[in-house]
Amino acid sequence: MSRVLTILVAMFTIVFLMAGGMASAYLVGGLVEEHWFTGASRLTNVLFLVLIFVMVIATLLTMAERKWSAFIQDRMGPNRARIALPGLKNRSLGGLPHILTDVLKMLTKEDLIPAAANRFMFNLGPILAFAPTFALFAVVPAGPSVQVFGRNVDMVVATPDFGALYVLAIASLAVYGTALAGWASNNKFGLLGGVRATSQMIAYEVALGLSLVGIFLTFSSVQFPAIIGDIGNALTGGTGQGRYLWRTDGAFDLGLPAWGIFIQPLGFLLFFAASFAETKRAPFDLPEGESEIIGYFVEYSGMKFGLFMISEFVEVVVLAGVTTAFFFGGYHLPFGNEWLANLPIMQEHGWLLGTILGTVFWLKVLFLIWVQLLIRWTFPRFRYDQIQSLGWKILLPLGLANVFVTGALVLWDPSLRALAVLGIAEIGILVVLTTTTKVPAGGAHGAHVGHGHDHGHAHAHGGHGAHDLPAHAHGVAPASTH
Amino acid sequence: MADTLKPEAPNPDTDAYAHESELDAHLQTKRMVINMGPSHPATHGTVRLKVELEGETIVKIDPEIGFLHRGFQKSCENVTWTQCLPYTDRLNYLSAMMNNFGFLNAVEKLIGLEIPERAQYIRVIGSELHRLTDHLTCVGATGLEMGGFAPFLLAMEFRELLHDRTAELTGARLTTSFGRVGGSNRDLPEGWIPRVHKTLDQGLALLDEMEGLLTNNRIFVDRTKGTGVISAEDAIEFGYTGPALRACGVDYDIRKTKPYWVYDRFDFDIPVGEHGDNYDRYLVRLEEMRQSIRILRQAMDTIPAGPIIVDDWRIALPPKPEVYGTIEGVMSHFKLVMEGIQVPAGEVYDATEASNGELGWYLVSDGRGRPYKVHVRAPGFPVLAAVPHIIEGKMLADLIPTFDTINMIGGEVEQ
Repeated sequence: MSRVLTILVAMFTIVFLMAGGMASAYLVGGLVEEHWFTGASRLTNVLFLVLIFVMVIATLLTMAERKWSAFIQDRMGPNRARIALPGLKNRSLGGLPHILTDVLKMLTKEDLIPAAANRFMFNLGPILAFAPTFALFAVVPAGPSVQVFGRNVDMVVATPDFGALYVLAIASLAVYGTALAGWASNNKFGLLGGVRATSQMIAYEVALGLSLVGIFLTFSSVQFPAIIGDIGNALTGGTGQGRYLWRTDGAFDLGLPAWGIFIQPLGFLLFFAASFAETKRAPFDLPEGESEIIGYFVEYSGMKFGLFMISEFVEVVVLAGVTTAFFFGGYHLPFGNEWLANLPIMQEHGWLLGTILGTVFWLKVLFLIWVQLLIRWTFPRFRYDQIQSLGWKILLPLGLANVFVTGALVLWDPSLRALAVLGIAEIGILVVLTTTTKVPAGGAHGAHVGHGHDHGHAHAHGGHGAHDLPAHAHGVAPASTH
Repeated sequence: MADTLKPEAPNPDTDAYAHESELDAHLQTKRMVINMGPSHPATHGTVRLKVELEGETIVKIDPEIGFLHRGFQKSCENVTWTQCLPYTDRLNYLSAMMNNFGFLNAVEKLIGLEIPERAQYIRVIGSELHRLTDHLTCVGATGLEMGGFAPFLLAMEFRELLHDRTAELTGARLTTSFGRVGGSNRDLPEGWIPRVHKTLDQGLALLDEMEGLLTNNRIFVDRTKGTGVISAEDAIEFGYTGPALRACGVDYDIRKTKPYWVYDRFDFDIPVGEHGDNYDRYLVRLEEMRQSIRILRQAMDTIPAGPIIVDDWRIALPPKPEVYGTIEGVMSHFKLVMEGIQVPAGEVYDATEASNGELGWYLVSDGRGRPYKVHVRAPGFPVLAAVPHIIEGKMLADLIPTFDTINMIGGEVEQ
């Protein structure tokens, strides 16, 4: 009981903290817009969204991953680090102090540079791996644009015309860090890791781009604000993912929202798989492959290694954010969206609506992060050539097919309802395929190794003599005809 | 390639197009020699693999042993037969009891001694317990090294439970030094059998869970099926035994072909694979664990009462009251401890089915009370020797599951 209570309290604390963060982001944004200059809120958004939200979630994620993997694996997880403060003495605090100790360890470790390494490139590696992952989040809106203190505040750092293309461009930059790290450290294992990373990125970059084309087609835009869309009101319907495909009539809106996951489930799966491969985490952790080649960062120590590690976690957060924006309706609620936005109090205090919807966005992000951790700790690693054939022979053709089918259906039925029917059918097929247990593939394998009953009987009939070889051999004859 | 297809001198007037061999532009690549081990996550124990790579393909591999050499054979020549026992623990340190019992069995054969029935049951129980721990480690590590951490820890949890039972039985978790020439040095503890039954129940659940994560996992199947293949003929040529041989489809298990102790009284099956690949080796081990559990349950249900060691003071230590109370007892005790068991001169080869295959002992005695020669036919040695044959021409990533599923144990390979 106390454990359930602890979990509930922790969850509410997290939601509360996120709501607080979003509220201050909106209010500070409104203040600087009013007192400083128009567009100043974009600068504070850098601070709040990228440095506070993404960074803090990524940092906590290092701990969350260790704890969550521990729960998956039937163990307790880290709980040894303690802070010797009067009130906190001998409390493990769910392992949180480990973050502190990790950082301390990394900062105080000797920074080794191999003698044969190219120093400049060697130092550039972690920077190039780290910076683009942060820059990625700049175009993802974490909340609606609302009026605060009479000024318009957007909860996004930048809204370039090329929108999603920026994500693809910057995401592919991250591979330079990995490749450089592998090459510059002048280590054979590192080089292998770097080469693996490069080829993996190239293979999945294509599938990544193609998987999003369906989304671009359905929403006729590559810009995040247009894809996420606006909330409708009494006069106009919503746009983008903020509208409903079917909805009930009435003040409280209930229906099937036009989220990417419903109209582009295949696109979602492809995007998720491809971007998962870009984060280089299991089952796509070949560049690391710690039991084979140790990884591209084998020569890095201290905080330089830490940068690689934390950039991996930042990538997880950013991937969850981008996926939320594209496929899970961004900051929109699945129902009651219009009702909430058109409440008088929400119209009056824009920041309140922004806070609620922003929290919804971060909750979706947390959910997707959790899904990623679950995948990370469930699957073994691919082999180098299998990952290539998955990318080129499965994801790429599926992505192409998705583009054509989506294009045709969008032309045929611009209301997207036909696409949604297809999408829901796809989800249904997927659920059925997942839940039905199938007999192990390759019956020969399964059938043969289960065997042995004939053997046991033959043995039993052979009596208990010390040497029942004839009977034994007889029983075995069918088994050894391979 | 370039030598055999040398282009003729190009003549731009007559030869407007590129020559055939010019179109086929070979990328000049150098082979890369990497050194896996002796300290590498994938080399269990300490073995060094000198791998020559072309891209990610292994063109040449040279396993190099000797990093765990402890002079086992020489050490044994300087101590009494009983004192060899702790050395045998360190051979296959994952299943020490099987080494103990295998050695004792060979010594008893050299003496020509029949041990009491209850002791034979205890040896079967101990062996099967440690067969479970050995296979669990192997299967768990296979999962771990392919990136799946959860199956490994599930296997470790079961192994931990079994270690608890082992510790209750022998007093040690890994280095058991259990059993003595002529029987067993201690009986099953009180209330131990129900606890083992319970442990096995818990373990079966863990086993199912572990299997659920691996057996039908597409990635795992893709990586293990069809990789690390060795044909039955080659396996026999190399001297394979145990699960690695049975995965090739050869039904050879000493427990069935030449039953020792009381193995012929139990109803169990020997799983046999078909393709000799990593997946079959994995499946064979999984099934062997289930069969071990069957044997354990039968053995624990039918274990008879009686003495656990022969009543012969030339072989077994006399009971303590006799040592303290009678001159014969003191003398026998003194002779046994100082001079060791007087094993008659002669030589013997005897083998038991250890977790990785035929664990053979070649013992020579000159009647001094100390071994003249102790040689172990470690099942891991031929298995390791075949690694170049299996893996050359395959991918580097295939080396990992192959090395896992053949389950070479450094300790026994490098005596």
